[in-house]
Amino acid sequence: MQVNFYATLRPIVGGRTVEFHVGEHVTVKQLVDVIVERFPRLRKELLNEDGNLYPHVHVFINGRDAPYLPNGVETVIKPGDTVDIFPAVAGG
Amino acid sequence: MALGGYANRIAHVDLTAGTVEYRGIPEDWARKYIGARGLGVRYMLENGPQVDPLSPDNLLCFMNGPLTGTEANMSGRMAIVTKSPLTGTVTDSHHGGWSAARLRWAGFDGLLVKGKASGPVYLYVHDGIVEIMDASEVWGKGIHDTVKFFRERYGEKDLSVIAIGPAGENLVKFACWVNENDRASGRGGTGCVGGSKLLKAVVIKSAKKMPKAANLEAWKPAQKRALATIMDERNITSPRKGGLSVYGTNVLMNITSAMGALPTKNSMVTSFGPSAEKISGEYVKEHILVDDPTCHACPVACKKEVEIKEGPWKGLRMESVEYEPAWSLGANCGNDDINTVAKLIDMCNDYGMDAIELGHPLSVYMEATERGYTNGDGGLAWGDTMAMVEMARKIAMREGIGNVMADGAEATARYFGHPELAMTVKGQGVPAYDPRGLKGMGIAYATSNRGACHLRAYTPAAELGVMPFGSLKVDPLAWKGKGELVKIFQDVHAFSDSLDLCKFSAFAESAEEYAAQYAAMVGVECTPEDVLKIGERIYNLERYYNNLAGFREGSDYLPARFTQEPSTMPGSEGHVCELDEMLAEYYAARGWVNGVVPESKLRELGIID
Ligand code: SF4
Repeated sequence: MQVNFYATLRPIVGGRTVEFHVGEHVTVKQLVDVIVERFPRLRKELLNEDGNLYPHVHVFINGRDAPYLPNGVETVIKPGDTVDIFPAVAGG
Repeated sequence: MALGGYANRIAHVDLTAGTVEYRGIPEDWARKYIGARGLGVRYMLENGPQVDPLSPDNLLCFMNGPLTGTEANMSGRMAIVTKSPLTGTVTDSHHGGWSAARLRWAGFDGLLVKGKASGPVYLYVHDGIVEIMDASEVWGKGIHDTVKFFRERYGEKDLSVIAIGPAGENLVKFACWVNENDRASGRGGTGCVGGSKLLKAVVIKSAKKMPKAANLEAWKPAQKRALATIMDERNITSPRKGGLSVYGTNVLMNITSAMGALPTKNSMVTSFGPSAEKISGEYVKEHILVDDPTCHACPVACKKEVEIKEGPWKGLRMESVEYEPAWSLGANCGNDDINTVAKLIDMCNDYGMDAIELGHPLSVYMEATERGYTNGDGGLAWGDTMAMVEMARKIAMREGIGNVMADGAEATARYFGHPELAMTVKGQGVPAYDPRGLKGMGIAYATSNRGACHLRAYTPAAELGVMPFGSLKVDPLAWKGKGELVKIFQDVHAFSDSLDLCKFSAFAESAEEYAAQYAAMVGVECTPEDVLKIGERIYNLERYYNNLAGFREGSDYLPARFTQEPSTMPGSEGHVCELDEMLAEYYAARGWVNGVVPESKLRELGIID
C-alpha cells in the first residue's frame, strides 16, 4: 500500500511516497502502527502518550480525515484508496 | 494622554494644502480601539463613511499599534486603512518587514493622509517630523527601482520605503502598497487610493529606539512568555522545526487540495490533483528556495526567497512564494509552473498589485474563454504562462482588455456578460480556501468587513486542528457551530490587528498573551475577556461604518457557485456551503439584524453614546 507524506514528515521517511506491505483488511489504526514501527521517529510526530493520533495530525483516506469517517480509525482501507498523512499545518 | 506605550503623535497630512499638523490620540479612542486597525477605522468613521474612495476627501491611514516596533515578537506590522475603491467598504491591509517599527521609532503612531497633491509627492518621515517632497523623478517607476532610488538618496541604513508602482498610479482598483520591495499591504486597493492622491511613497528613516513599557515589571515576563509559546509550538511556529517556519505559508497547498478545499480553475473544481504538489511549499523548498527572510522581532522567518533556475525567467531572485498568491496565480488559473508563479508574484511586487486579486480577473477571463463567452475578444487559456505574464502587464498599464480587468473580477465578468463568473464577496476575490471543503471559510468570507478575506477569521486553524484560543478541533465539512466560531476568531484577530501583531502569532499565542503584553506596554488592566470585548467593539465599528456606507440588509453573501454547485472532488464531494444556516447562527451570536448593527448594540459597546 502506498502512503503519501507531507511537510515535516517527508525528511523523516526520506521521500514523498512510501510503500508499506500490509495484509488485506488493514484498518487506519493498524496502518499507523505499521508506519511507526518502520519509522520510529514518526511515533512522537503522530501519536500522543496514549498511542492515539494527535488531533492536529491528519490521516486522509481519499481526502477525508480518518476520525470523521463513519468507523473512524477502525475504517478498513480498500485497495486503490489514497492515503495521505500530514503533520499540523497552518499558514494563511 | 495618560496611557503609556504610545508615541501619542499622529501626523495629519493635507496634500491639497501641503501642510502637516501633529496631534495626540484622543485617549478615549486609544482605550476603545487600541491602535492600527481599530484606531484607523475610528479615524475613518470620523472622516465620514459616504466619501468617494478616489476623491481627495478619502483618508489614507498608515497606522501602528501600541506593540509595534517593541520587543514583542512579530510586532513589525503596519495597517494601511482607507475606504476601498474595490469594495466600497472600510478596509485595512497589513504588511511586515521593518517600516512599521521604523515609523514608531521615528516617533509616530500613525500618518493620516488627506487631499490630493498638485504633482507627485512622497512623505519623508524622520525624527518626529514629516516632510512632503517632490516625487516627479520616481513617478512611473516600478517599486524595485523606487526603493533603489530612495536607498541611493538617503542611504540604505535604517531606511524603509513603502511605495506604489505603476498599477497604483494607473488607478488599478486592486493596486497595493509594497514595503521594502516585497512586503505588500495587498488587499483592498489601498495603493489605488495612494495613486488618486499622487502619493508615490512613504520613506521612513530611523534608527532603533525601542519604546518603553509603562509597566516594566510586568512587561518582561509577559514578553518572555509570549516568545516562549512561539518557540515551543513545535508543529507550526517553532523556528526551523514547525511547518510554517520550514516551508512558509505554502505548506498548505497539498492539504487543501487533498481535502477538496482548494478552489481550482476559478473554483469550478475544489482540487488541483497531483499538480498541487508542483506549486507547493515542499516543492519550492526542494527546488528553488534560497533564503528564509523574516520581519522585525520574528524568530519564525516564514518568508521564502527563491531563485528561478531555468526557463525564460532564469536568474530571477524574489520573495516570497506564499500560499495565497501561489494559489491565485497557480491552481486558480490552472497553472502548475512554479517559475511562472514566482515571476507573476514578483511582477505584482513591482507593479504594486494585490497578487491574490490578480488571479481573479485572469481566471474569469479563462473560464469565459472555455465557455465561449468572450465574443471574439481573444481568449486566455488555463495555464498559458506567457499570456498570463503579458496580461499582468496589460492590467497594470491599463492596456486593451487589461483596462477592464484592472477594475477587478466583477467588472471583468460583467464585461463578458456573465457576472456569475466572479468569485467575489463585496467586490473582492475569495482567497485560497474553498468553502465547500472548509465550511467555516464560507461564513468568514460572507461576513468579512473588507470583502472576501481569510484573515478576518482564520477558521482553518480549528478545522485543521491547530486549535488556538481554546477552540476545539472541528470537522471542516460540518456547518454547525461555525457561525459562533467565526465571531470569536473575528474578535480576537481584530484585537491583534490593532496591537499590531502578525496574525501567525495566533498559532501559538492566545488571548492571555495578547492581554498581558498590551496591559504591560500601555499600563492598563486587560483580561482575555477584555480582548474579546475590545475585538467585538472594533468589529462592530467596522460594520457600523459599512452600514452607513450603504451595506445594509442582505450584504453578506457568497458567489452562487459555492452554495449551489456541489464539489466533485474527493474529500468534499457532494458538498455545498450551507451559508444561510451559518448566517442565522452568526447573526444571533453577533446580535445583528440581517447584517446591520442595531443601535442598542452600538450603545452597549460604547461605539455611540
Ligand atoms: S511569521 Fe512571517 S509574516 Fe509573521 S512576522 Fe514572522 S516572518 Fe513576518
